[in-house]
Amino acid sequence: MITFHDVYKTYLMGETRVEALQGVTFELPERRLAVIMGPSGSGKSTLLHLAGCLDTPTHGRVNYNGTDLGALSSRGRADFRAQSVGFVFQKFNLIPNLTALRNVEIPLLLQNKPAAEARKRALDALDAVELRDRMHHRPSKLSGGEQQRVAIARALINDPKLILADEPTGNLDTRTGQRILLLLKGLVEKGKAVVVVTHNPEIAASANTLVLLRDGKVESFSTSHGKEGLV
Amino acid sequence: MTLHLVKLAINNIRSRRTRSWLTILGVLIGVTAVVSLLSIGTGVEQAVLQQFKDIGYDIIVITPNTGLGQASATMGGPGFAGQSATTSAAPPSGRTFSPDQIGTASVPTSPSSGPAATVTAAAVDTQALLKAVTGLVDAGNLGTRVASVEGPSASGFLRVTTPSLSFLAAFPSILGGFTIANGTTFTNTTENEVVIGARSARTLGIGIGDVITIDGSEFAVIGILASSRSVSAESSAATGRRRNGTARAGAGTVGGVGTGASLLARGMTNTDDSLFVLRERAVSLWISQAGSSFTIVRMATGAKVDQVMTSISAELTAQGVLATPVSVQQIAANIQGTLGMIETVLASIAAVALVVGGIGLMNTMYTSVLERTREIGILKAVGARDGQVMALFLVDSGLMGLIGGVLGLVLGGLLSFFGTRLLGPALGVGSFQPVFGTTLIVGVLVASFVIGALSGAWPAWRASRLNPVEALAAE
Repeated sequence: MITFHDVYKTYLMGETRVEALQGVTFELPERRLAVIMGPSGSGKSTLLHLAGCLDTPTHGRVNYNGTDLGALSSRGRADFRAQSVGFVFQKFNLIPNLTALRNVEIPLLLQNKPAAEARKRALDALDAVELRDRMHHRPSKLSGGEQQRVAIARALINDPKLILADEPTGNLDTRTGQRILLLLKGLVEKGKAVVVVTHNPEIAASANTLVLLRDGKVESFSTSHGKEGLV
Repeated sequence: MTLHLVKLAINNIRSRRTRSWLTILGVLIGVTAVVSLLSIGTGVEQAVLQQFKDIGYDIIVITPNTGLGQASATMGGPGFAGQSATTSAAPPSGRTFSPDQIGTASVPTSPSSGPAATVTAAAVDTQALLKAVTGLVDAGNLGTRVASVEGPSASGFLRVTTPSLSFLAAFPSILGGFTIANGTTFTNTTENEVVIGARSARTLGIGIGDVITIDGSEFAVIGILASSRSVSAESSAATGRRRNGTARAGAGTVGGVGTGASLLARGMTNTDDSLFVLRERAVSLWISQAGSSFTIVRMATGAKVDQVMTSISAELTAQGVLATPVSVQQIAANIQGTLGMIETVLASIAAVALVVGGIGLMNTMYTSVLERTREIGILKAVGARDGQVMALFLVDSGLMGLIGGVLGLVLGGLLSFFGTRLLGPALGVGSFQPVFGTTLIVGVLVASFVIGALSGAWPAWRASRLNPVEALAAE
């Protein structure tokens, strides 16, 4: 379970202070599809970065199953990203000079897993997204949808409890986007907590939890069970 | 993880093939320069030192004070052109030369006294020298002069060296081993026999059994010496085999010693361009001819060179001889010091090329970090620690350095191999082999990897410190 408690995040862009998040407080349940929506610049991606330990809050606390993520060291944050969370990005973010298989293997290799084990689990992950036949292709030889499925396979390789997706269908056509959505919903059914930042109303309609951000603040919070998620 | 990092680094090098090879080329040139200069330099040093070793570190040369330069010019130059001012100024029947007065020095007493007015010192009495100086086992005089030589098909002025039979037995290394290629060495002291250097034989167009005239006296050609250079090449090739063995030619092995023509021997007596007549014959034939001479002595095993040199100087003074003793050890040490200094300077200049290669590598790695910022963000997003990102870039740059080092080693080796073929004759040490010691090979490989890694250290550190969110946002 992820809890945001009075979280502020301030960036300095040159001499300008940008208040990306201003006192955000809510919690996201496990094994649910949570959707964060809001206009551009409302702080959606920042929220996702804080949840995934890619960044630390300027003020407040972000807890994951009781761990204060902001208090972790640089190494602790790296280990959290390696073991507890999987990222899916709008631009896929695959390493261009590696094959699909090697892209999926990378998180395991960074954790010193044996090459044979990494290979087997990467093939299983590619099977899960039905891309085993494209495993030796580099990203430039894959379609957008295929690249995103490789990215999902990579996010799943460590079997994390939490999947964070930032506009996962933003660069895809409608039909491919629907396929990705099905994949994400399937992950929830397998017991993962999936947090999606999106403008896509179709994904929002599928959400168990919907958070609407505006100007760095929570404008509305709703779950399929009401507003009990607000703390 | 290291293996995975190496694989990732290789993948990265291959994916940026052109730039990677250009970067590697920079390191390669530097390593090539260092390897070729060091291996050639060490090869020259060893070849030169081996030649001194061939002569024997126990040898001391006593040269007349008229100047070794003058004597060397006379004896070391080509046979038809190597006449000293003294020799060329004197008519064939001019000033007095006696092989018995070896060590005689002719020094003008004053500018106004003219070339005819000289002070003549007494000869070195080698028997007295042996008795007076503790630590000497052999001593002998070697005379040399320029004489008019007439062959069957050519004639001219050539240098005639006059060793005694006992000198040849005791000091063959001084005459490059006195290796006979055709014919025999001297058979007796009563007949006019001449042994001829290889080039002189070619120049005069003579062979075994021919009769030539030296300053009016007829001599039978009984032997032709092996060419100095070919012998020298053999000597260099045999260096490794003989490194731990006795390099000095043993006494009494005249004609059969393959020690090679030494640098010192060429400086004193160029066997290729010389004619050799026994001193015993020279005494009876040319009692009144001008020339120069050296005294060669051999120290006993365990004798201290400084003490022996001091005693020799004292004895020379006592004998009234104007001459200076120089030990082969001293000459070798001086040359070794000079060669070492030249080698250091050349290697330092070559190292600049290596540093430039390293800076090129740093530039490439810095550019690579800028280009791969997004990739760094991705790696961090999937769990790479700062240290792993840094290691990835260090291995990347280190590998490029190492590849440059390996290729530079190979290219430097090839350059040295062909370079020595050209440089050997030019330096007058014959053909010699470049030396690739384990230290050089391992040192170059380690240094190239370290230079590569160090060049990539700063860019790698920058990469490791990148904020993952900012890195992911990079285009």
